[in-house]
Amino acid sequence: MAFTTHTTPSGFLLPSIHSAPPFFSQQPNKTTLASFTDHWIKLILAYARHRRLFYLHVEDAETSGNDWDEVLKNERINRHVLPVYLEHIMGVMVEKNLAAFEPARQTRSVMLYWRLPEEWAETLHEWATSTGHLNTIMTFYDVTDPPIESPLSSIPVALLRKAIGILTKTNRAQLIAAADGEGVRFFSK
Amino acid sequence: MALKRYTKSIDSTIPLPALLYTDERLFSSQNGVGIYDGQQKSASHQSGTVHVSSHRLFFTDTRDNSFALDLSYVVQTVYYAGLFTSSSKVTLHLASKTLPGTPEPEVWVCHVCGNRNPPGTSPAASRICTLCGVRRESPSTPSTPVPAASDAVACPACTFRNNPSKTTCEICTAELPVPLAPEISLMKLSFRKGGDKAFYSKLKSCLKTKAWEVRLLTVDDPLPSGSGISTWTLYFDMGADDRLKFITDGILQSVATSNQGVETNMKDALQDLEALMLKAKDMVRLAADLNERLTTSTAANPASEPEEATFIRSSLSQLGLQMDNVPVTLDMMQDEREWINQLAKELARVLQTIMKDRGIIALDEVWGGWNRARGVALIPPTTFLQVLPHLPVYTTPTIQKRQLHSGLTVLHTPPYSHAAFSARLVGFLSLNGPQTAVEIAQEEEITVGLAEGMIGAVEADGQVCRDDEACALNGSTVGIVRWWPWTEFDRYNYDGQL
Repeated sequence: MAFTTHTTPSGFLLPSIHSAPPFFSQQPNKTTLASFTDHWIKLILAYARHRRLFYLHVEDAETSGNDWDEVLKNERINRHVLPVYLEHIMGVMVEKNLAAFEPARQTRSVMLYWRLPEEWAETLHEWATSTGHLNTIMTFYDVTDPPIESPLSSIPVALLRKAIGILTKTNRAQLIAAADGEGVRFFSK
Repeated sequence: MALKRYTKSIDSTIPLPALLYTDERLFSSQNGVGIYDGQQKSASHQSGTVHVSSHRLFFTDTRDNSFALDLSYVVQTVYYAGLFTSSSKVTLHLASKTLPGTPEPEVWVCHVCGNRNPPGTSPAASRICTLCGVRRESPSTPSTPVPAASDAVACPACTFRNNPSKTTCEICTAELPVPLAPEISLMKLSFRKGGDKAFYSKLKSCLKTKAWEVRLLTVDDPLPSGSGISTWTLYFDMGADDRLKFITDGILQSVATSNQGVETNMKDALQDLEALMLKAKDMVRLAADLNERLTTSTAANPASEPEEATFIRSSLSQLGLQMDNVPVTLDMMQDEREWINQLAKELARVLQTIMKDRGIIALDEVWGGWNRARGVALIPPTTFLQVLPHLPVYTTPTIQKRQLHSGLTVLHTPPYSHAAFSARLVGFLSLNGPQTAVEIAQEEEITVGLAEGMIGAVEADGQVCRDDEACALNGSTVGIVRWWPWTEFDRYNYDGQL
């Protein structure tokens, strides 16, 4: 049986396996389950990158009309991912450091690392350098909501803090506590 | 006073015939009778029924007022025909003498013939053995004299029991009730509703017969001693030796009669059994004959045994009539190991029938079928499980045991081994597309349960994967699972947008 790829209205190219009904069932066999889960992780991260989505919740599989409809459902073959399976996939992603439970200490919502925090750190520093913000103090808001759209626009604060933390270790940034919130100062090096 | 002294109260709720001794007979009854105790009317006995039997006079009214009077106390009767408003009366003069104490109504064993005498005979009769007529020997009836105190008159004021001769109490000098002298004890029956004459004549005849005293000695005894009377008369004419002979003869005769009866029954039963065995022999011979014929015909044309032959064979095996299939039992064998081997051989033969058209069968069905074929000396499950490992040695094609994931244990031929089945299943799915367990079961001609178990095993190997309909968008919760061959996804490379 041959399956074909499909382009969604948002312009995302779905893999051909997304048209295979067994792909949506949680397999009891460990080998087949791991194989399908790997493809799911690839698909989720690619779609998140395509739509700049930072969060995935178990509820996204339970309800419809959210950002993830195109991926978690396939109306052409009448299949969708059950919340239980999605939670399992999320667990595997966290294990592989491709996501983090956000907030911590629960397993029903994750922050997706379609770029790893290290990559975000580099992006952040490059952006600061290229926009001439070195050695000046900036608020988190300045970073996440710059007047000119940047690669960092709408990045979650939790992820931003993680990236700044990585820069701090190599002395390329400094976290500053201000009276009404937090700030950051970037150094060249 | 006389009433209290000579009568015994009875329970009138019991029907009168049940109160009679076994040798007592009821002669006459009359209702509407009042009782005079002495010369006075007895207030509590004014409208009852009197009955006269061979031994006793009964008065029944309410439960508390009923009594029985032994006729042996009656010494004289006077009849008064009545005048104007005075009803006719019968006066009974009661004896002062007390009869010997009546024996307790109990079962006693005769010391001569060993007969167990039942209770319920009249006091006089119960002193004599009902079988041999010998007088009861052991003085089980206490011969102690009635204590004098029973005659004592209790003082109505202080309850001291005074000597009957006293007129005033010795303690408190209160006037004692005058006890009726025994000599003048009398009782009257007042017939308010007539019937006096007939009743009186019956009473007279009863009194005359004195059934309570004399028994078995007169031929014209009106008592219901039954057909035994003439015999008994004879018996009393015999000498002592003859009597003994008479008794032993009787006993021996009864023993002989009962023995004869038993023998006749036994003979009948044995004859029936013999007839049955003859029939059984015929049956077995017939079965053997049939089996042989079938075998020869099958040997000539082994490819196609006619359906009828299969039917006959399976019927015979179900009846336990397979001749080459006499059940093996432990006592036929020297040791248990040999027994198990023989059982395995026998089971292999049985399986040839049971698994004729089937490659796989659940263990419970095999066990049931085997025991049905054996018919006798059934095999317990533990032994059955011991036999199974020896089965491949005696079967061609080899039949093996296999436990499925669900815990169900089955016997199967090589085509239903795990490897063979998974290869076949994957081929079938690749060729025909995804299938449900039901469709697979149909294809394999096995039960759905078995198919599910075996597919489960293939899934555990990762050869197939499932598409659960519970994942459908319309949210049906009952998941029908379709099985897909894993080969579809085995070499899949991600081909979507990265």
